[in-house]
Amino acid sequence: MTYFLYPGCSLEAGGSHYQVSVEAVAKALGLTLKEIADWNCCGASIHYVGGTELQTKTLNARNLALAQNQGGYDIIAPCSSCYIQMIKTAHEFEEDPKLAEELNQILAEGGLNYTGGVKVRHVLDVLYNDLGVERLAAAVKKPLTGLKVASYYGCQTTRPYGEYDSVENPHTMDEILEALGAEVVPFEHKAKCCGSGIFFTEMETCAPLAGGILGEAEERGADMIVTACPMCQMNLEIYQPRLNKMLGTEYDMPVVFVTQLMALAFGGDFKKDAALDRNIVSAAEVLKKSAA
Amino acid sequence: MATKAYDKSFREEVYQNVDSGEDVKLCMQCGVCGITCPLRGEMTHGPRQLWSLIRAGKREEVMNSPDIMLCTSCYSCKVRCPRGVKVIDVMHGLAHYALEQGIVPRKETAKFGKAFWDSIYKTGRVDETEVPMRYTMMAGPIHGIFNMLEMMDIGRALLAHKRMKFKIGPGLPPSKKIRGMKGLKKMLDKAKSMSPGKEG
Repeated sequence: MTYFLYPGCSLEAGGSHYQVSVEAVAKALGLTLKEIADWNCCGASIHYVGGTELQTKTLNARNLALAQNQGGYDIIAPCSSCYIQMIKTAHEFEEDPKLAEELNQILAEGGLNYTGGVKVRHVLDVLYNDLGVERLAAAVKKPLTGLKVASYYGCQTTRPYGEYDSVENPHTMDEILEALGAEVVPFEHKAKCCGSGIFFTEMETCAPLAGGILGEAEERGADMIVTACPMCQMNLEIYQPRLNKMLGTEYDMPVVFVTQLMALAFGGDFKKDAALDRNIVSAAEVLKKSAA
Repeated sequence: MATKAYDKSFREEVYQNVDSGEDVKLCMQCGVCGITCPLRGEMTHGPRQLWSLIRAGKREEVMNSPDIMLCTSCYSCKVRCPRGVKVIDVMHGLAHYALEQGIVPRKETAKFGKAFWDSIYKTGRVDETEVPMRYTMMAGPIHGIFNMLEMMDIGRALLAHKRMKFKIGPGLPPSKKIRGMKGLKKMLDKAKSMSPGKEG
């Protein structure tokens, strides 16, 4: 099976451990990933400050057109912000002929054209639906027995269309984590927002959101928070010392990507495949508890 | 009893000039968006009330509401709205419209967002070292240096964990451009000229 990988800007930097582990997981499962050549940024959540809605759709339409020209494989967008921006444009292109015409008029300025039909998929969607939990379980060499995890999807991972999971109460990642042998704790914050794109600039305002997520994970006895969004990973992890100061807490909670745990459970290397050495709040200690 | 007619000019202005502004027409004032919002406690009006103020012609209140830039884009309201209003897109549209007229509802997010978009417009991508650096320096040379020093711990940690490229300062070295940057720029300019309120 061949897919396009759309890394987006964050997997090139703050989410580099997501990129490494997605590639390791794909390799272990026999998936071929091709990067969309010369892709551009999706606009993310903060696009509107400088750009209009049509400009943001243009960014995404260009990537869809490039993908179509380069083979038309389904696009995996591991970053939830990229996923939501791309799937919105893809959907609206199919639903609104006037918009489709406008976008093609715009794409023509750069010598491109898009006829529709390219599918945008979240990494959880492909893992759960194209491979399935049984195949994932079969690939496990070192089960994560004894590891208690809070499965945190964040806000944009399954929204706004609920293409592959519930928008309110998602379960795909829970099942994937269970297939790895981990214990998934009940987690009411699983689809709540951490502050997303304004977290960095509105930290005081968003601190209670992130604090609620970290707090529930701790109360439930989770060893770590597992996520599938680089923005969540970043907000909840690297700002923990600042949050502790603001909220008077003492969180020291690892926040890792689901694909990092998969890479490890599939027998991959802690550094080379799971890139767990790139987590600032280290998960090494809690991982020792489990067989992996 | 004398009644006062609503000023309809502002709602028409929103329908015509604000991205997804026409969606306001769909609202039935149920308030699900407002109570769903993760930042409901921080909002002065919230989406439902803003839509109501738009219809009532309260230009000043809407355009100066900090709420229009407090949206985290979590899409909770969007998935719950029984009328299918693209709540997030309208909020973003209003923020863009206000900023264009020199009204800055939230200063820090506006600065960061500008550095973010500039990076896209110049290089096609967002450089996660360059953008925060440019943002911190927007506070001016002295404050900028202090802000940068304050962020040093985060930068150092990201650098040490291979999650950031090293730069001495903004533009040192310059961010790489995508190959099709010339074409992308043409597309973005064309898209701007075709956006609501920008035609002609």
